[in-house]
Amino acid sequence: MARIWLQSLIKAFYISKKDARVYYFKAPNFTYGFLMPVSLFIAFSIAGQINTSLIVSGLTSIVILFGTTSIEAVAVVLEKQTGTFERLLAAPVSFFTLLLGKALAGFFFGLVLAAVILAPLTVISGTVVANPVLVFIAIAFSSLTFSALGVLVSAYAKWTPEAQMLSNFLRFPMAFLSGTFLPLELMPSQLGVISRLLPLTYSVEALRISINDSAPTFTYLLDILVLALFSFILLVVAAKVLQRRLE
Amino acid sequence: MEVVAKAQYLTKRYHGVLAVDRIDLEVYRSEFFGLLGPNSAGKTTTIRMLTGQTKPTSGVAIVADYDIIHQPIKAKEHVGVVPEASNVYDEMSAWDNLIFAAELYGVPRKERNKRAKDLLERFGLYERRGDRVGNFSKGMKRRLTIAAALIHRPCIVFLDEPTTGLDVQSARIIRNLLKELNRSGVTIFLTTHYIEEADQLCQRIAIINQGRIVALDSPEKLKALVEERHVVEVSFSPAKDLDGQLKGLKHVSDVSWVGDRFRLYVEDASEVIPLLIDFGRENKLRIVSINTMKPSLEDAFVKITGLSPEVMATEKEHAKKGESLG
Repeated sequence: MARIWLQSLIKAFYISKKDARVYYFKAPNFTYGFLMPVSLFIAFSIAGQINTSLIVSGLTSIVILFGTTSIEAVAVVLEKQTGTFERLLAAPVSFFTLLLGKALAGFFFGLVLAAVILAPLTVISGTVVANPVLVFIAIAFSSLTFSALGVLVSAYAKWTPEAQMLSNFLRFPMAFLSGTFLPLELMPSQLGVISRLLPLTYSVEALRISINDSAPTFTYLLDILVLALFSFILLVVAAKVLQRRLE
Repeated sequence: MEVVAKAQYLTKRYHGVLAVDRIDLEVYRSEFFGLLGPNSAGKTTTIRMLTGQTKPTSGVAIVADYDIIHQPIKAKEHVGVVPEASNVYDEMSAWDNLIFAAELYGVPRKERNKRAKDLLERFGLYERRGDRVGNFSKGMKRRLTIAAALIHRPCIVFLDEPTTGLDVQSARIIRNLLKELNRSGVTIFLTTHYIEEADQLCQRIAIINQGRIVALDSPEKLKALVEERHVVEVSFSPAKDLDGQLKGLKHVSDVSWVGDRFRLYVEDASEVIPLLIDFGRENKLRIVSINTMKPSLEDAFVKITGLSPEVMATEKEHAKKGESLG
C-alpha cells in the first residue's frame, strides 16, 4: 500500500514538473501574479484603508492566491483544449494523482511567488519575522489550498474564459472578505461569519501569527489544519467533478 | 491463440444516446486488428473504453489480463494509446516529451534515455530531438505521439485514425512504421475509416456501424461475402456522363465513377465485356482500358453496411482538409 502511495506521489511530482515547465515559470505569469494584488494594495494604502500591520501577511497571501489560481484555473482546461489531457488520462495514474500533480505545480509556484514578495516587503516595512519555519509552513499550506482551488475551477470549466471568469468570481470577494484589507474585528458580524468560510482568511491569519509569534499558537495550528482540510476536500471534489465532466 | 484484449457486451450510452451497442471482440497477441467504420460509428468510444479513458455503461473489457473497469491502473500499464489528434506537448522538445511519457509509465530511470534514443532513431526524429515540438510538421508530431505510446513497451497499442489529416507521404511513412512494429511482435488495434488502409494493414477487421459490430473476419473472408459479384472497370475516350446508359446494359447491376473509370458491378464479367465493346462502337467511343477485378473490401463494406464508400472516404477529410490515402 505504502509503495503504491509513493509511486503515485512520484508520478504527481513528474506531472507538476512538466506543468511548471509548460505553464508556470514564464514571465507573464509572474507579472500577473503580482500586478493585480499589488495594485489593489497600493490603491487601498493611498486611501488610508489598510492597517500597516496587515500589509506583509495580507499582500503575501493574496499574491499567492492570485498567482497560483491564475494559471492553475486554466491548466486542465488548456490540456483538454490541446488534447494533451488524453495522454494523462491514458496513463496509469488515478484522477486524484493527476490532480495532485496539477496542484503541486501551483504549490511550487506559490512558494516562489511568496518568497519573491515577502523578502522585499519585510525589508521595506521593517518587519522582523519571529519564526521563519512557521512562516514557511503557513505559506506552503496556503499555496496548496489556493492551488487546489484553481484545480477545482479548472476541472469544472469547459474553456479558458469560463475558467477565468469563475476564478475571478471566487478571488475578488475573497480578497475583500478575508481580513486582507480590513481586520476581521472591524467587519460587520454577518460578514465575519462568511469570512470564516473562506480559505484566504486562514492563510492571512496564519501568516500574521507566524510573523509576530515565535511559537505556534492554538489559532495558528487550527488555521493550518483548516487549510490542510480545504486542500484535501477541494482536490477530492475536483477529482469527482472532472470525472463527471469527462463522462 | 493468446487473447490480449477482449470486449464482452460492451456498451456506452451518452445522455441516453447509444454510442456503442453490446460489442464483442477479441484481439490476439501480435495481431494487427482493425476497427473499420464511418464517422460516429463508435470507433473512438470503443477505444476509449478499452483503454480506460471512459467507463462503459455496461459490459466487460479485459486488457492484458486486467479488468479495465476494476483495475484500470494495472491495465493501463500494459497499453499504449495514440489518439486521433497528436497529444504531445508543443512547448517541450521531442526528447523531453518521451522522457515525460517514460516517467508517467514508471519506466526505470536507467532505461529512459536508452529507450527514448532508440525510439527517436526508429521514427526518424533523433536529429530533431532537441527541437520544440511546436515547430514539427503534423506527420512528425504523429510519429512522436506513436513513439511516446511505445516508451513503456506495451503489449498492445491502440491507434485511433492515425493517418487522418496527414499528407500522402506522411501517411505512408506511418503505415510502414505500423507494419514494421507489428512485424516486431507488437499487437496493434487500429481504428480507421479508410477501407484501403484497413485492407493493407489488418489481419482481421471488425466493421462497426451505428455502434454495432456488423462483421468481423479477415479481409479475404469479408471479400468472399461478395464473391458472386464481379467488377469490370472501363475507361472511354472521350469520357462522358455515361452512368445511366451503362446501367441499362444487360447483366449490369450497378455503376459508379472511380477516378477516370466506370466501375460496373456485374453477374458475369465474360458476358459483359463484348457488350461494352459494342456499346463503345455504337456510341463512337474509344475504349482506353478495360479490366476485370476481384471484389474489394470496399465492395464487402458496401454490402455489409449499405453505406457508400465515398461517404467514408470524404466525410472526415472535408473537415480536416487533408489528404491521406496514396
